[in-house]
Amino acid sequence: MINIDSYAYSNHLKKIHPGEKSFFAMSTMAVCLTSPTVITPLIVLAIMAGVTIFKAGIPARFFLKLMLVPLSFLLLSVLTIAFSISTNSFGFWLAQTINGFTIGIRYPDLIIASELFLRSLGAVSCLYFLALTTPMTEIITVLHKLKVPIIITELMVLIYRFIFVFMETALTIRRAQLSRSGYVSMKSSFRSMSLLFSALLGKVFVKSQELYNAMAARCYTGEIKMLTKKYPVNPRNYLLITALALVLIVINLLGRR
Amino acid sequence: MPDVILEAVHLDYSYPDGTKALRDINLKIKRGEKLTILGSNGAGKSTLFMQFNGLYRPNSGTIKYRGQDISYKNKALIELRKKVGIVFQDPDSQLFSSSVYQDISFGPLNLGLSEQEVEVRVEQALIDTETTDLEDKPTHLLSYGQKKRVSIAGVLAMEPEVIIFDEPTAGLDPRHAREFMQLLKNLSDEGKTIIISTHDVDLAYSWSDRLIIMSSGEIIAQGKPGELFLQPDLIKRADLALPSLLEMYCGLVEKGWLPPSTPLPKTRAELLLSLPQ
Repeated sequence: MINIDSYAYSNHLKKIHPGEKSFFAMSTMAVCLTSPTVITPLIVLAIMAGVTIFKAGIPARFFLKLMLVPLSFLLLSVLTIAFSISTNSFGFWLAQTINGFTIGIRYPDLIIASELFLRSLGAVSCLYFLALTTPMTEIITVLHKLKVPIIITELMVLIYRFIFVFMETALTIRRAQLSRSGYVSMKSSFRSMSLLFSALLGKVFVKSQELYNAMAARCYTGEIKMLTKKYPVNPRNYLLITALALVLIVINLLGRR
Repeated sequence: MPDVILEAVHLDYSYPDGTKALRDINLKIKRGEKLTILGSNGAGKSTLFMQFNGLYRPNSGTIKYRGQDISYKNKALIELRKKVGIVFQDPDSQLFSSSVYQDISFGPLNLGLSEQEVEVRVEQALIDTETTDLEDKPTHLLSYGQKKRVSIAGVLAMEPEVIIFDEPTAGLDPRHAREFMQLLKNLSDEGKTIIISTHDVDLAYSWSDRLIIMSSGEIIAQGKPGELFLQPDLIKRADLALPSLLEMYCGLVEKGWLPPSTPLPKTRAELLLSLPQ
């Protein structure tokens, strides 16, 4: 997660307007998820991998590793769709009959499973593209522009910031515990862990009070107002993205059964 | 015109748990002054600072801004906080956004300025604190010193009349500490009133016009740095030490290298100049 976050700030596409990147990821994902064929997800997967690796300069190894993360989960759910058990051996495409029970794959199920698999993977690649190229703060700005309620965007700003503050605090406490022989046995691990959590909880309250004071000192009145750096809008990018989406939609329509 | 801009009158404050944090604080801060508050940990410096812009309300006594008792009504507090800015000690509790640019723009936007004006101020604050190259970085990837400079920028961009720095040089490397002192000098030259708290006796001695020494919630001494540091029992009582420059000066006088009539040196260069050739 930390690596994804670091790449979001250091990739080659960071100067591109966050709205363009979000539009690209979201429009492509929508087309991919609604696709009735396997061709569209494959194209989406290829495009997203290509853009992320070659355009944004994210190492291919890292991108592949990320794609492997949902794979195990995805395979499990897809396999349950593909395989069926029945007392009737009719209609199976690939099957084994044991004691009158037939375990196997029906051909239509296989198609559904593989489509679902690719569609999910394609959608995941779109999200990875966005996560790897666009810092969270800018995604929040885009959400704000899209009129997402302020309470949500403000909470996102604070939560995102404080994930890192608390992670650092937790790491520091953990290091201090390790250097005093915490976590040496099962029993001490549990004890150390519970101490870490209670210490962290205390800090959460202190930090939030301090943060409120510091914000009040800067004339906070209940709404977090802030400016975001402006990025040049490139109409050509919007055209390209729309054209791509249209092509994919045409493929979707042609592949309809 | 040396008029009083901030004033504490018979200020008493206890924390909700009953700990007495401030006892009968009387303090006048003149406009354009360079004031240092010295005191050991827990002496009440930070608590006093939070009284100055109305974050804490005294149990008894008052804070006066330009001769008027400050009001604790929301609107009045906001007006006060436009004029009196605080840079907190821990940058992690001051920076609320992960974007350096967003965080610095927060204060000036709250002043109701136009976006263009805010942009100009943010740019200027970035330049003044040498953080221009950090504006695209997320706060959590910055070092402690960098965060500190960003949190300073966030207050500078509001252009307050009085700027309070709580332990500003703690955690800064020598180079950035020096540059910070230069920044303070520039702010002073612009006519800002500056209050800092520190443990750094060298900084307190060479930078300030006036010193306040606090100990367990009380002001135990105030006056010119040269006068206060030459009272050994006072320095001991406040858990402080002699500035190295004064230590050297006293040593030289004791050994007869300097006549006792030599004026106290403010800087190393002054001390070297006063040595007989």
